[in-house]
Amino acid sequence: MNPLFVVMVKELTDLLRDRRTLMVSLLMGPLLMPALILGIGYLANNRITSQLEKPLEVPVIGASNAPNLIAWLQGQNIVVKPAPKDPDAAIRNQSQDVILRIDAKFAEQWHASLPASVEILHDSSREDAQIPVQRLETLLENYGQGVGALRLVARGISPTTAAPLRVSHRDLATPESRVGQALAFLPYLLILTGFLGGAYLVIDATAGERERQSLEPLLATPAARATIMSGKIAAACAFGVTSLLLTLIAFKLSFVFAPSLGIKLDVSLWAIARILLVMLPIVLIGTCLLTFIAAGAKSVKEAQSYMSLLMLLPMLPTIILMVNPVKNQLWMMATPFLAQNQMILKLVRSENISSSEWGVYLLAGFGLGALLWWLAARRYHDESLAISA
Amino acid sequence: MIEAIDLHKSFQSKTGLVKAVQGVSFTARDGEITGLLGPNGAGKTTTLRMLYTLMSPDAGSVRIDGFDAVRDAETVRRHLGVLPDARGVYKRLTARENIAYFGRLHGMSEADIARRTNELSAAMGMEDVLDRRAEGFSQGQRTKTAIARALVHDPKNVILDEPTNGLDVMTTRGLREFLHQLRGEGRCVIFSSHIMQEVAALCDRIVVIAQGRVMAAGTPDELRAHTGEANLEDAFVKAIGSEEGLHA
Repeated sequence: MNPLFVVMVKELTDLLRDRRTLMVSLLMGPLLMPALILGIGYLANNRITSQLEKPLEVPVIGASNAPNLIAWLQGQNIVVKPAPKDPDAAIRNQSQDVILRIDAKFAEQWHASLPASVEILHDSSREDAQIPVQRLETLLENYGQGVGALRLVARGISPTTAAPLRVSHRDLATPESRVGQALAFLPYLLILTGFLGGAYLVIDATAGERERQSLEPLLATPAARATIMSGKIAAACAFGVTSLLLTLIAFKLSFVFAPSLGIKLDVSLWAIARILLVMLPIVLIGTCLLTFIAAGAKSVKEAQSYMSLLMLLPMLPTIILMVNPVKNQLWMMATPFLAQNQMILKLVRSENISSSEWGVYLLAGFGLGALLWWLAARRYHDESLAISA
Repeated sequence: MIEAIDLHKSFQSKTGLVKAVQGVSFTARDGEITGLLGPNGAGKTTTLRMLYTLMSPDAGSVRIDGFDAVRDAETVRRHLGVLPDARGVYKRLTARENIAYFGRLHGMSEADIARRTNELSAAMGMEDVLDRRAEGFSQGQRTKTAIARALVHDPKNVILDEPTNGLDVMTTRGLREFLHQLRGEGRCVIFSSHIMQEVAALCDRIVVIAQGRVMAAGTPDELRAHTGEANLEDAFVKAIGSEEGLHA
């Protein structure tokens, strides 16, 4: 048997016997997280529909100043409530989402055909107040336009004169692309699982093995150091791919059992197979990088201290794209993490991926993996590897 | 046969250059037990590490059965059975699996591994723990597993770094018999220790190392004659130039 394979089988056997670690890394992450996230998605979905359709309660200051407007609003699914004593404080302490203030001069301005003042009090930094604010704003706009049109007609002018433009929207978002929006976390979760899924095994197999004093006898066998390292990397990759596969299966099952989410995601076996292919380079990159770190670290503790930093890495492209959205370009396919992010989104949105994109993606991904492997192998050949413990 | 020729090795540390080994030469012949004797920190472990190719010497060379340890490192490791200073066994594997892992890395067939495992466990009296996981092994059981693992491929040359460290009297006695058996099979055995009595009881030849240098070498009789001391302990003290390490 090839020594690489011997090392790989031994590392996996060792890991499989460590039941508790295995359960935590295989079940907690890949199975609990999708369930949790789908649950949260369901809650958010629920809230949005209820905010859109339920009667909206709006405290109004100075309701008596505009009885017609109030009556019209009440006809539009709005429940008018008396205003709190301190409206600013009510918004600030979040006891109210939105408050309408009608100016004392409203009637006067109205009768003089001047723009009559109304004010919407809200906190734009509150996510869940956005829908109520939007609802109220749209209603007020409609009311204003309706009355404006009537006024023009009364003066013998066609209302279209005051509307030189007619703007309409054609939303080209497909149901699949909306999913991308709803599941922005999915690439991050998958990339993180692939990138650090085998972390425990990698750190344990290099830094841990040295700490337990079994690396020196291992290196005294005829097996070449690079082969021993590759066996450990292969074991970690196999484990990483397994936890990825479990995560994907968990997603598929979540969608089978919760189809009422209103989002459509391509979770066919073919899509899952392609997502796995997309993740392979990142699994290799993660394991080789961790091997490189573990081979240079003086202890398991030191190697693990890099983990919090590494967990941030896959988040970077998502954050950068959020702050500075850029169009899909070919160079992105060569940028680690960003490329995986884009590829996964394309796959779940059922978008077409050109063969040049696949080519650049796989070449860049495996190329970086190979480079990190080479760097890790160099560290493995360092004399101090076995003896610093 | 193991030959060390004028070995030198230094390490960079925070306080400066540490010259661990500065000119160690000796020859260990087949069918003999050669003891490396010296106080703690004398350079024994570093010397042995150069023998089993874990480190390459700054100067000098190592020849194992005629192969150079730097140029033919892999061949050299095939000809060696090594019990290093670090002798961790895999806790979640049984003793038998620990031994088999190394056998496979030596490229042995499963049948050969099974046969050698049985021979070695019989020779060292470890049949009762063979199929137990190494978690919770005593120091002696761990050492036996590590020795069996080191010798699974039936090597001609055997290097043991302080094998009796932490072992009780009975286990040490058993180990001595085992080493005599290895010598009887015509193997070349190198054995390091900081305990003079142990080396005196076991070894055909003694190489006394202190401060990274060979202070004296030869059979126990030669050592006594060389230093002019009738007592081997006095000879040792005279050879290393102090009483340091004698009672460690």
